[in-house]
Amino acid sequence: MTRRDLLAASLALTGCARDRRPHLNVLNWSAYIAPDTVPKFEAAFGFRVRYSVYESNEEMFARVASGNSGWDIVFPSASFIPPMLAEDLLAPLDHRLLPNLANLDPAFERPVHDPQLHWSVPYMTGAAGIVYNRSLTPAPTAWANLWDEPLRGRITMLDDPTDVFGACLKRLGKSVNSEDPADLRAAARLAIAQKPLLRAYINAEVRDQLVSGDVLAAQMWATTSQQAIDESDRIAFVYPREGYPFYLDTTVILRESSRAELAHRFLDFLLRPDIAAANALASRTTTTDLAARKLLPAAFRDNPTLYPPPAIAALGELEIALRPETLRLRDRLWTEIKSA
Amino acid sequence: MKRLLALRWLPVYAAGAFAFLYLPLLVLAAFSFNSSKFTVWQGFSLRWYQAAFADTQLSEATANSLIIAFTATILSTAIGAACAYGLWKRTNRTLLGVVYLTLVTPEIVTGVSLLAFFEAFFRYLHARLGLHTVILAHIAFSVAYVVLVVLARLRTLDARLEEAALDLGATPWQAFREVTLPSILPAVVAAALLAFTVSFDDYVITSLVAGVGSETLPMVIYALARRGVNPVLNALSAMIFLGLGALVLISQALTRRAETPGADTK
Amino acid sequence: MPSNSDASSRLRRLFLAPSWLVLVSLMVAPLAIVLAYSLLTRSPYGSIGKPWSLDNYSRLADPLYLAIFLRSVWIAAAATLLCLLLGFPLALFISRSGERKNLYLTLVILPFWTSFLIRTYSWMFLLRDTGLINSILLRLGLIHQPLPLLYNYGAVLLGLVYGYLPFAVLPLYATLERLDPSLLEASADLGARPWQTLLRVTLPLAAPGFLAASVLIFIPCLGAYLTPDLLGGGKTVLIGNLINNQFTTARDWPFGSAASLVLMAIVLILLLLGLHRRGEALL
Repeated sequence: MTRRDLLAASLALTGCARDRRPHLNVLNWSAYIAPDTVPKFEAAFGFRVRYSVYESNEEMFARVASGNSGWDIVFPSASFIPPMLAEDLLAPLDHRLLPNLANLDPAFERPVHDPQLHWSVPYMTGAAGIVYNRSLTPAPTAWANLWDEPLRGRITMLDDPTDVFGACLKRLGKSVNSEDPADLRAAARLAIAQKPLLRAYINAEVRDQLVSGDVLAAQMWATTSQQAIDESDRIAFVYPREGYPFYLDTTVILRESSRAELAHRFLDFLLRPDIAAANALASRTTTTDLAARKLLPAAFRDNPTLYPPPAIAALGELEIALRPETLRLRDRLWTEIKSA
Repeated sequence: MKRLLALRWLPVYAAGAFAFLYLPLLVLAAFSFNSSKFTVWQGFSLRWYQAAFADTQLSEATANSLIIAFTATILSTAIGAACAYGLWKRTNRTLLGVVYLTLVTPEIVTGVSLLAFFEAFFRYLHARLGLHTVILAHIAFSVAYVVLVVLARLRTLDARLEEAALDLGATPWQAFREVTLPSILPAVVAAALLAFTVSFDDYVITSLVAGVGSETLPMVIYALARRGVNPVLNALSAMIFLGLGALVLISQALTRRAETPGADTK
Repeated sequence: MPSNSDASSRLRRLFLAPSWLVLVSLMVAPLAIVLAYSLLTRSPYGSIGKPWSLDNYSRLADPLYLAIFLRSVWIAAAATLLCLLLGFPLALFISRSGERKNLYLTLVILPFWTSFLIRTYSWMFLLRDTGLINSILLRLGLIHQPLPLLYNYGAVLLGLVYGYLPFAVLPLYATLERLDPSLLEASADLGARPWQTLLRVTLPLAAPGFLAASVLIFIPCLGAYLTPDLLGGGKTVLIGNLINNQFTTARDWPFGSAASLVLMAIVLILLLLGLHRRGEALL
C-alpha cells in the first residue's frame, strides 16, 4: 500500500474525503483490456474510471440485476442480452455517438440477439476448445478424446454449465442451443459418465498443471489457452472436429446509468482501431473490430488459436439465450452432475 | 497423579499436533521467499513482496479492508460493550438469544439474508451496495463476539463495587465510568482486536454484500486462489498472518491480564 | 433511592438500545425477509413475486437435493469426529502442562483467529500435484506419479479438520481443567491403570466438553462454503455451495432462501437437542 492510499484511507475514515470528480463505473471480465486503456481514456476525457472485474456472466448479472448497482458499463455475452432486456436493465444506444462503429467486422454487424445493435456493441469473440500438453500422443482432435479412459485423472473441464453442456451436446451431434429436454438429459448423462475421469472442473487455474504435464488435456477457452501457449511451447490448442460453441462478448450501457453520454464515449473509445488492437493484443483475444485487426502484428493476427481459418471458424456455433425453463432444467442437471 | 504420566507419548503427540497446525503456514511463508515461481527452492528473493506492493489492485483492496475493519470494529465494540454492560446485572433472555443466534447462523445464511435485506430496501431508497453495506454487515456479525468477550469479563466482577459507588452518591453513569469501565477496559480492547481480525478476514459475507468500489483484500485473495497457486499470494499470506497474529497475541495478553485476580475481588 | 434506580434502568435501556437496533435490523429482519422470499415465486429471469407457495420447499424434497444435504451432514459429522479424536489428546496434554498452559493455549488459538482463507490456501499449496508433499514423495522415489491429493472430498475433509481443530481443543481443555484431580487419584489408588482411568473416569467426565465442541464444529462445517469451493475442485457440492449458487449463478433467490432456512432449522434443532451448556467455551 502506498502512502497516498494510507492517507486516502485515513481521510475516508473521518468521512471527509471523497473524490468528487464524476466517475464512470466499468465492470468488465478480468484481463479483458490493455493496462493503459483506462488511463488513456481518463487522460483524453478528464473523467475518472472506477474499474472492477468479474469472472462469469452469471456473477455480472447477479451484481447488476437490482437495477441500482452503480455500474454504468458491463460486458455481457450475447446469450445474456435477452435476459437483461427482459429485466429492463439496458439503455438504448445512440449510434450518432458511436462513429467508430464503422470499424466493426461485417460478420458481427447483425447478430441474431440484437440485429440493429440497438442495445449492445460486439467487443470480443472466442470459443472453448481443447488445450493439451504436446506430450500427449496422438494429439486430441475431438471432444470424444476427453472421454478416453487412459487419460483418467489427467483431464479437466471448465467449471461452467454453458461450456460443459456445449461440449457434450456437440459430441452428441446436437445444437449447443438445443432446448429439447431429452438432449439436455442425454448431455448430462454424458457428463456424468465423464466425471470419474476428471481431475476437476476448473478454469484458468489449470494452466500451471498443463505446463507441468500433470493435466494432459483440458477444455479451455482459446484466449486462456493462447496465454498458456505464449508461456510454454509444450502447450497446443485444437478446435474439436465435432464443432464447438463460441461466445460473443459485447459492451452495453446499463439503464440505471446517469452518465449515458460519457458511457457512449467509452464504448466508442473501445472501438477505436488502435485501442481495440491494443486490447486484443494485451488480453490475447479475438477482436470484432476489423480496422483493429489490420493493425495487429501479422504473427498474432494469423495464429490459428485466436484467428482460426474459415474452414474451422465455420464449425463454431454462437451461444444464444435459452428459454428460462431450459435454464432451470440445465441448472438442476448441472447440480446433478456436480454432486454425482 | 504421577502414574498418569505413563501416558508418555502425549508430548510427542502434542508436538505432532502443533506441527500439523503450523507447518502448512510455515511452508507457505517459506516459499514466499523463493525466487522461483515453482515449488522448487531456487534461492532467497523478495521479488514476490515487491510484486505484492507494486500491485495497485491489492493496495486499493487493502485500503478498503482497513477502512471497513476500522469502522466496523469501532462501532461494533461500542455497541457490543454497551450491550454486555446492559446485560450484566439483569439479563435479557431475548436479546442474549439473538446474540447467540448470530453466532450459530452459518456464514452463508448471514450473507444471503443481508444481501436480500439490502436489495429489498435499497430498491426503494435508491441506495446501493458499497463500502457502507459491507461495514453494516461486519458490524452485524462482530457485535456478538464483543458482547460475549466483555460479558465474560463482567461476570468476574463484583457488582457490589458499583452499588457502593451509587450509595456514595455517584450517578449510574459515573459509577460505570469510574468503577466498572476501567476494570473491563482490557477486555474491551481484546474484544475490539478480535472484531478487527474477524472483519479483516471475512470473505463469504463480504463477497455477497460488496458493490462498486468495495472490493476487499480477502476478495482479491480468493480470486487469485481460484486462479491457482501464486507466489504473490504466499507473500501476502505471510504478511497478513504476521499482522493478524500480532493482534491476536495482544488480545490474548490483554484478556489474560484481565483474568488474573488483581485489584478486584472475585 | 428510587431516583437512582430509575436513572440506572434508564442508563441500561440506553446501553441496550443500539444493540437491539443492530441485531434486529441486521440479523432478525434479514432472516425474516429470507423467510418471506422462501414462500414466494421466482419469475423467469429471476425477479421475485407472488404467488405465495410452499413450492420451494417441496422442490428441496427432490432426492438430488436431499443427497446434498445428507452428504453435507455426513462430512460435517466426519470432520467433527476427527476434530474430537485429534483434539482430545492435545487438550489432555495442555491441561497437564502446568505453567506452560497459557503458551500452548495461545498456540492453539493463534491460527484459528488468523485468516481462514489463508489457511485453506496453504493446503492448496501443499496438496496440489506440484505441491510440497508430492514433490517430496517424488524426490524420495516413493511414488512415480503425483498422487491426486487435491480436488476431492478427502481434501475438503482435511481442510475442515484443519480449520476447526481449535474448536475441539478449547472446550475439551476447559472441562478437563475443571476435573477434580482427587477423582483421578482415587481411581489410581484403587489400582486402575492410567489408560483405564482415562477411559472410565476422564472421558465420561469430559462429556460436556465433547458436546460443546461437537456443536461448535458441526455447525460451521455444515454450512461450509469456502473449503469445498477451493479444495473440492468443483467436483463437490455441499449445502453451502448450493445456497451460494442459487443466490449468484442460478439467480433463484426463493429456492436459495428455502435451502438457507432448512439449513438454519437443522442447526437450531441440533442445538436444542444437544446443548445444555452454552457455547461460551468458544472464546
